[in-house]
Amino acid sequence: MSRRITHALGSLGQEILLVVVILALFAFVGTYNPRFLSENNLTSIFVGNAYIAVAAIGMSLVIISGNIDVSIGALIGVLAVISGLLVTNGYPIWLAWLAPLVLGAAINALVGCLIAYARVPSIIATLAMLSILSGGLITFTGGQWISGLPAGYQLAQFRLLNVPSPVWFMIGMTVLAGFLMRYTTFGRAVYAVGSNPEAARASGISYKATVVKVFAIHGAIGGIAAVLFATQLQVIQSTVPVGLELVIITASVVGGVSILGGVGTVFGSTLAAILFAAIGSSLIFLNVSAYWLRAVQGILILATVLADMARRRRTG
Amino acid sequence: MKKLLTALIGASLLSTPAFAQSAWTGGDDQPTNPLACTGESPAPEPGEYNGGTPTNAPDRNGKDLKVVDIPKLVGVGYFASTASGMQEAAKELGNITVNTDGPTRANIDEQITFVDNYITSGVDGILFAANDPVAIAPVLKKALDAGINVVGYDADAEADARQWFVNQALPNGVAKSMMDQLASEIGEEGSFAIVTSTFTTPNQARWISEMQAYTEKCHPNLKFLETVEAQEDNILSFNQAQTLINKYGDDLKGILGMTSVATPAAAEAVQQNGLCGKVSVVGLALPNAMKPYINSDCIQSTILWNTVDLGYAAVEVMRQVADGTLKPGDKTVKAGRLGELPIVNQSQVLLGQPKVFTKADINDFDF
Repeated sequence: MSRRITHALGSLGQEILLVVVILALFAFVGTYNPRFLSENNLTSIFVGNAYIAVAAIGMSLVIISGNIDVSIGALIGVLAVISGLLVTNGYPIWLAWLAPLVLGAAINALVGCLIAYARVPSIIATLAMLSILSGGLITFTGGQWISGLPAGYQLAQFRLLNVPSPVWFMIGMTVLAGFLMRYTTFGRAVYAVGSNPEAARASGISYKATVVKVFAIHGAIGGIAAVLFATQLQVIQSTVPVGLELVIITASVVGGVSILGGVGTVFGSTLAAILFAAIGSSLIFLNVSAYWLRAVQGILILATVLADMARRRRTG
Repeated sequence: MKKLLTALIGASLLSTPAFAQSAWTGGDDQPTNPLACTGESPAPEPGEYNGGTPTNAPDRNGKDLKVVDIPKLVGVGYFASTASGMQEAAKELGNITVNTDGPTRANIDEQITFVDNYITSGVDGILFAANDPVAIAPVLKKALDAGINVVGYDADAEADARQWFVNQALPNGVAKSMMDQLASEIGEEGSFAIVTSTFTTPNQARWISEMQAYTEKCHPNLKFLETVEAQEDNILSFNQAQTLINKYGDDLKGILGMTSVATPAAAEAVQQNGLCGKVSVVGLALPNAMKPYINSDCIQSTILWNTVDLGYAAVEVMRQVADGTLKPGDKTVKAGRLGELPIVNQSQVLLGQPKVFTKADINDFDF
């Protein structure tokens, strides 16, 4: 128990650190070019990576439970195409928004079963899924984009109180998942199976059921991310963005979720996704090559993991 | 970590002292060959023919020809429009029948099987758009060995595996179309930025270099701001265009999209910011992807080759190769309603300047 409190404090530290870094970056780039802090640019930064932030929430759950999912980028690509095909083939818009959630949950529940019941390591099960989904997608669509999307479908372009809907989804999902993880038995079970599966089992927590649930929720959240991804522009690209899963995993890890499982919150990954968008924008404002974005992300991962290791050694 | 980050950004700032004004970022360092600002440019020397030759081809001069067209894939708008140009040419000529057949997905193995089957079944000519220039070469050579005339279009194979290739556009032609269109939309003194795939993507880098050379020659007062990278990712392209708009505000008059992904995404950013008519987007893109923006008068144009003309020219070239009227060493070829097309790059027929699609005609094209 005391260990969990230490960990909770530890990851809270990561979140405060991220807030400080984001504010420092805003101050630094804003001084260099005040337009960086214009309402428009701040909106772009928050909207730009919102779907990544949403997907990273599910990823955080998966990693906290002691697993990993490298197929999420491909899943988002496939679900986005399914959504687009439904709506361009005359199905109602609400169905095109809802189907990715249900299908995402179903597909990933299956992956969860492979991991929990057939004991396939999560990296292997999701690598296989990555190949199946991305190969299937390109075979099925032949790389053709989906265009001719009807008016009213572009959920990600809606605004409420002049704030774009992706930002609302990002905040809403983060708060909801944060509540789930902190105040429910399910949330506690996820931390338990992630930090010590044997002990969790001994204390009556079903490892199998928890892992399947985690993956199903992750799939449903991936479905939401896919809808935000699909409805941002007037066309849907039918190929999976290269390296999307890595950006999502990076957001989770830099957000303070320990890659070894059992530790982290969903707030950190959302802050990390915002930080990445802010860095991407900063590079343009500072006239620095976009190549630096990946380098910076890499350095952030290393720094975070090293800090996590140090913290673990300290708390034993 | 905060220190680390600021140090890092600080350091990289110092190491890249404001991009040199002399070279546009994202271009390559190969020699450029800008076209004339107005009127015809003198055709470059084609050089020595490096295409292949069919073995023991029968005399086909003026005889009815049976030709198969094997595009990268069938069932997509792009190759449906090249096929319609082919039928137009076949009808005009009267003594050639063209049948379009190919894989339903862009797969080189399936395409090879199609070519092989048509060699066996016996045709006079094969038109192709290769899924892979190297992998398709052996089966095309087999066709040449069987005395079949082989002509490529859209996507070439190794030169000696076919006789001629109809090239839809050369880099200096793309550059001229892009910059002339930009200048006509934002004026000769406007400022613009470029959204490309990556700084090292060969086609885009070539085009950017040619665009700079042509701009210095023909639109010297246009002001280049910067190039940003957006991979081939449309959300990233949108975000990058958005950031350019935020960064430059009213100073930004135009965005050049270097890929068919970047151009519609930049148009979307302009539309979502309510900047239609204030910021122009000029670039390479498929008409279907640009229709929403062009039909709503937000964006004026999109640039690509005329795919119908591309198919038309391929059949005209096939006819003349079979007749023996297009021979190695020729400098031009007559292509029906397209007039005389120049021979370039040793064994390629150049379709001409890319086409600027506008609201007037974009809805006639479906790809």
